Amino acid sequence: MIAALGAAVLELTRQVGGIVVLGGKVLRALIPPRIDGRELVKNLHKMGNRSVPIVVLTAFFAGGLMMLQSGPFVKKFGATALAGWGAGYAVLREIGPILIALMFSGRVGANNTAELSTMTVTEQLDGLRALAIDPIRFLVVPRVLAMIVMLVALTVIGDAVALLGATIVAHFMLDIEWATMFHSFADNLQPYDFLHGVAKSFAFGGAIAMTSCYFGVTVKGGAVGVGRAVNAAVVAAAVSIMLLDFLLTYLTG
Amino acid sequence: MTFITDIGTSVVGAYRAAIELWLVFIGTLAGLIRGRKTRPKGEILRQMFYIGNRSLAFIVVTLGFIGMVITYQACLQLARITGDFSQVGSQYMRLVVSDFGPTLAGMMLATRVGAGIAAEIGSMKVTEQIDALRMSGVAPIDYLIVPRFVAALVMGLFLTIVGSAVMFGLGGLTARYSFGVNLHAFFDPSFVRPRHLAIFLVKALSYGGTIPIVAGFCGLRARGSSEGVGWATTAAVIGGSFAVIVLDFIISASALFLTGGDL
Amino acid sequence: MPAIAFTNVAKRFGHRRVLESVTLEIPQGHKLGLVGPAAAGKSVICKLACGLDTIDAGSIEVLGTSIAGKREVELGGLRRRIGMLFQSYALFDFLTVAQNVAFPLEQRGVPAEQIAPRVADRIRAVGLAGSEHKLTAELSGGMKKRVGIARATVTDAEIVIYDEPTAGLDPVTTQKIYDLLAEDHRRTQATVLAVSSDVLALAGFVDEIAFLYRGTILYRGPAATIMDAPDPIVRQFVRGELTGPLDEATA
Repeated sequence: MIAALGAAVLELTRQVGGIVVLGGKVLRALIPPRIDGRELVKNLHKMGNRSVPIVVLTAFFAGGLMMLQSGPFVKKFGATALAGWGAGYAVLREIGPILIALMFSGRVGANNTAELSTMTVTEQLDGLRALAIDPIRFLVVPRVLAMIVMLVALTVIGDAVALLGATIVAHFMLDIEWATMFHSFADNLQPYDFLHGVAKSFAFGGAIAMTSCYFGVTVKGGAVGVGRAVNAAVVAAAVSIMLLDFLLTYLTG
Repeated sequence: MTFITDIGTSVVGAYRAAIELWLVFIGTLAGLIRGRKTRPKGEILRQMFYIGNRSLAFIVVTLGFIGMVITYQACLQLARITGDFSQVGSQYMRLVVSDFGPTLAGMMLATRVGAGIAAEIGSMKVTEQIDALRMSGVAPIDYLIVPRFVAALVMGLFLTIVGSAVMFGLGGLTARYSFGVNLHAFFDPSFVRPRHLAIFLVKALSYGGTIPIVAGFCGLRARGSSEGVGWATTAAVIGGSFAVIVLDFIISASALFLTGGDL
Repeated sequence: MPAIAFTNVAKRFGHRRVLESVTLEIPQGHKLGLVGPAAAGKSVICKLACGLDTIDAGSIEVLGTSIAGKREVELGGLRRRIGMLFQSYALFDFLTVAQNVAFPLEQRGVPAEQIAPRVADRIRAVGLAGSEHKLTAELSGGMKKRVGIARATVTDAEIVIYDEPTAGLDPVTTQKIYDLLAEDHRRTQATVLAVSSDVLALAGFVDEIAFLYRGTILYRGPAATIMDAPDPIVRQFVRGELTGPLDEATA
């Protein structure tokens, strides 16, 4: 029991250490910033393409859900002027960035791990090294940058869609006027609420990118290993997202 | 023209996938009714232990953090606008029970359990182990998905209860130490009504049942070798999480209508 | 009645037509070797013979039962009469060596007290005594192959299909494995379909060899004289000659 716990702690330490080391290598590769522009654009395109539909749908439902949760309460007290407050605040600051990051991790992060780990188990990374190409600079750095940029962009889009979802649910399911909702958003939400969420998504993007690349390049053991790596990557990304969310919320209020 | 054929192909593909998903679901239910014929003894217990063992710490950590964050954000907003913390605990409990608890636990289970099942079954598919099962006249759904389905149903409920409790408890501590909210006032179940508990139960069980079905379906669809397994695992995470969100919306909206808006 | 009969079978994967029109009969108790270039569809034929995949046209009869259009449940009984060695072994990675070999017997409802001696006997026959309780991940490729053979033959099935029984093995092990298969056949008189790229070693084991090329059976003849087959394509393939009528892309 204690041995198993010790082994688990050691394993966790090893993984966190590995992610930090990989992060260091990525940062070093960025100074001076020599990035393979084509690879970056290719990844941005691919990741955006892949994740926009699922993120838009998720955001829409998330906004609607927050409205469903806060709506009955607001109506009970006749405070429809505050209808957009609870839902909007929750969406912009927490639920939006977190759900979008989780879906992004499942779609783009997991896919990235699958891709990198397949390249690793088929010895393509060694192939790059044999050609004197640094896999970190060539494969990892563009992906990390693309994921951060893409997640921030998707959070901005997702926030808008989520507020739209909340408004539509409020209108059709709770009989709250369009105008009431818009005024409610305008009066109760501050630009800082939006920026707070977007700032977090920046950190989430970094966390997803680092975990997904780390488990991709350290995979062992064929097809079975690839499955395990993807699983480990999404789990690590979820934990990192929650942990960062906690830290950033306290730091930025 | 190619664009139209592309759309046509993806529509047909989606239709076929939907049929297959449905068949996995029906096959699982049929396997449940038929009972244990081909499975080894104690497989369900083994799967339950496996799921619990792998997910408990994960659920506690993730839901704990998010519970603290949600309370912090709520109190922050209340402090700015009304400054009245008397209802924050009771409202928060209602929200955790009827939505945040089961849904966030469900998303985490889709990530942990769903991806695990898809990786496992997907690896078996690409290494022909599924075909080897079929060669012995064993239905892969019976042998692999049914025990995971039952285990995920039971353990999903258990983990959701634990996760929601942690989410609420740590939220209370956050309110106490960051905003000085009285703990006694925070642990106030007066807003939680039987209908909220029913929603909790329906949500937890629907997610617990959906996740292994979606993951098993993705695993059985894996083709090729390592890319196939990677694809299956990815699809299970995204499919499971999205199913949780959509089910959450459907169940919440239905509850709203069934109760005539009185939630 | 032939044990396996393919009639004008066609199979596509997406846009790729793997089998154009395959007609192939294997009489009961007969040993047929199937050879052909890589990706010619040899493994596909093995799987189709067990109904593990569906066909697009034609018909397949196995042990007098037509396979096409049968539901999975209906095929179970038929598959239990076939033993199969998969190309990538397909050993259950969650079971030990002994459990893998015992699996087909358990699923056929054989009483437990009969299973143990038969499993022990099979494991000894393939030369793996002492490895019974290892997990399959701990085994080398050759050992996995032998576990696969033990599992394919443990039920004394009426038909045994070997998909690449010796691929990737050294010549000595290859010969040992074919000796083992031949001994089994003398004992059970099962119908055998064996797929291999190593024609010479295969020819020593089977009665006849069929050559699969561009989606059809191009040639079929006695194994003993395959080196001097009348068809120039087959001759080139078997002798491994660099020039000849064999398709550049597949050669």
